[in-house]
Amino acid sequence: MLEADGSFFDGSSAAKHKVTLRLDEARGFLTFDGEALAQPEEWPLAELRLLRDQPTGGWLTFALHIQGEDETLHHAARLSCRDGAMNAALRRAAPNLTRRDIHKGIGLRVVTKLTLAVVAVLAMIFVILPAMATSLAYLMPREREVQFGQAVVNQMEWFLSGERTGDLACTNPEGLAALAKMEARLTQGREMDYDLDIKVFDHSMVNAFAAPGGQIVLLRGLLDKATSAEAVAGVLAHEIGHVENRDATIGALRAAGSAGLLSMVLGDFSGGTLAVLVTEHLISTSHTRKAETLADDYALKALAHAEVSSEGLATFFDYVIERQGQGPSLPAYLNSHPPSQARAAKSRGFAATQQATSPVLTEAEWAALKAICD
Amino acid sequence: MSVSSDIHGQYRGSRGALFALALKVALLTLITLGLYRFWGKTRIRKYIWSSTVGDGDAFEYTGTGLEKFLGFLVAVVVLALYLGIVQMLLFFGGLNYGFDPATPEGALALNALIYINLLALAPLIFYATYRARRYKMARTRWRGVRFGMEKGAWGYALRAIGYTLLTVVTLGALLPLSSFKLEKYMADRSYFGDARFEQHGKWTALYGAAKHLFFGLAVVLLSVGAGAALQAPVLLGGGVLLGYIWLAVGVVYYRVHAFRYMAAHRTLGDEITFTAQPTTGEVIKIYIFGTLIISLILGVLIFIGVALFTAAMSMVGTTSMAPVFTLMGVLYVVALLLSGAMALIFITQPTIAHFITTFTVHRAEALNAIQQRATETGVDAEGFADALDIGGAI
Repeated sequence: MLEADGSFFDGSSAAKHKVTLRLDEARGFLTFDGEALAQPEEWPLAELRLLRDQPTGGWLTFALHIQGEDETLHHAARLSCRDGAMNAALRRAAPNLTRRDIHKGIGLRVVTKLTLAVVAVLAMIFVILPAMATSLAYLMPREREVQFGQAVVNQMEWFLSGERTGDLACTNPEGLAALAKMEARLTQGREMDYDLDIKVFDHSMVNAFAAPGGQIVLLRGLLDKATSAEAVAGVLAHEIGHVENRDATIGALRAAGSAGLLSMVLGDFSGGTLAVLVTEHLISTSHTRKAETLADDYALKALAHAEVSSEGLATFFDYVIERQGQGPSLPAYLNSHPPSQARAAKSRGFAATQQATSPVLTEAEWAALKAICD
Repeated sequence: MSVSSDIHGQYRGSRGALFALALKVALLTLITLGLYRFWGKTRIRKYIWSSTVGDGDAFEYTGTGLEKFLGFLVAVVVLALYLGIVQMLLFFGGLNYGFDPATPEGALALNALIYINLLALAPLIFYATYRARRYKMARTRWRGVRFGMEKGAWGYALRAIGYTLLTVVTLGALLPLSSFKLEKYMADRSYFGDARFEQHGKWTALYGAAKHLFFGLAVVLLSVGAGAALQAPVLLGGGVLLGYIWLAVGVVYYRVHAFRYMAAHRTLGDEITFTAQPTTGEVIKIYIFGTLIISLILGVLIFIGVALFTAAMSMVGTTSMAPVFTLMGVLYVVALLLSGAMALIFITQPTIAHFITTFTVHRAEALNAIQQRATETGVDAEGFADALDIGGAI
């Protein structure tokens, strides 16, 4: 029978007992005996466990598996041995030496807690924070919101011009007059929460955006590419929808609330930053897609009320489709805007139901608007 | 006191084994999108704990990855609710009442607000610090006997806020008071088995350990003052640089010597005392040596990466960039994984080993009389510390 020296700790005191280990393979026990022990101890080999992730170098500590409250499911007693032959023999003879014991019913507990946590975090991101952002946006004093919007527009201007002092606003008086006429046509007789402040920036990008507090910026590229004044009116109506829905303010508040939440959930690991960025993009696009759809609905209503054909808006989406066709198209969930085909079809379908429509600008006014930056 | 009843700390861990473990853990963490980090940290701890040896007997870490994960789930829900609401209200309040976003300064202040709300986290960070230490104590055993710590996380958080404010208000002059009292608060609540630790000594004694902090600070301030008064940029720059280096060394000196003092004035039960003799020079040496080696290896990797990139560019031309970028991405992730594992084996582990091997337990025969303590209930894993990412490498 293989014999070796070892140390035994009985688990009820810190006293160290010198013991002699004997491997009794025939009976399937590891027995050990020493001066301080009242009687020899017998540990069944099947219940013998080796503590995990120990350093190499001779010493190994063993424990006995039990069912109970202990976090490791080991009996509190420990046995350690530095005898190479004995340790090698134990590795061979004890069948469950490296088995990972887990508490009964732990699976259910994990599933329950995981589900609760995921539901809570999702509810936070998709329900509580958006609802709170919306309520706060309606509580915000108007002049503060306008100031905030101006700051956003200023930042956009710096960003687009590439320098801090850049002044991009186009000021051609006839163009401004045409723009004012378009605005009046779209808002006449409609109850508006905000006083609009519409600008055109001299920049080749084909885009438009709405900042908090009623500020709307059209970029010159949009006017250049637009095939009709109705297309511009459609886009403008869409942006007015954003203004009236307070989307920019709500978005800023929501972003402030959810800052850092995801990096907390996902944690800091190699490549974690990328995962956080991707997830944040997915979440924010899902929010904006909804806002875009609502702004489209607002635009169609405004166009109908103003008796302007929504065919123009459809041609703008046609343009977007055409441009997207040149590059690879993104799957819907990656895109911040709903698919342009559906939006074009919706506008076109709506145009077919419109009864009497009239041009939004005269030929001369349309030409003046296109030349607003000259 | 006989020499035979002293126990000198030993460390048995090796670079190779820990490196292999750390790399495996980092890979699994990457593959599982971070989920494995709780199990990974547990495994690294198990390795380091069981490499720590006194009188031939290894320490044992009995924590499990699963309980860490479950603790994290609870903490993350609480924190998500708290943080999300506090952050949004702060932003809203700042927008409404504090700052004018129309001016660049106001806009800057508004952005800064988002970071200032980290202050809202301060109580939670202190709370988490205590809980994390309590969890680690409860999951540490030596000679089959559990360590443990009484409840007291909120009491700690309250005191920590008070002492930290006091330190800030006195411009650091009361730092020794803060360090001493907070460490004493934790030490006095700690147990090995049924034997209690007690922290003796006086907080004013830590001024000796803190002296280089104050010298370094004085050099920085003096050279700024003198350099500005004499219009001598060389004096200013050189003096500030010297002061910063002095200050950095002073931080290490303070940690090391405060640790020595606290250990020398700590008792376990009625008889057992301790001596700790880590040195500032050794800790700094480990840090400089480790940083150099890691930078060297990363430098070689980056060189290989650039060489591969150039070669790939010339081979495939500019038509198919995808494989080149994939290669770059893979190299980047490899570098990240490696640097974490290397920091562990070249800096963290040698520093721990140094502190352990210079640690001595006196009158160790009294250990034989120490009895086991009951399993503590309600020692939730350090979920808050995990969520707030405090606690460093291990």
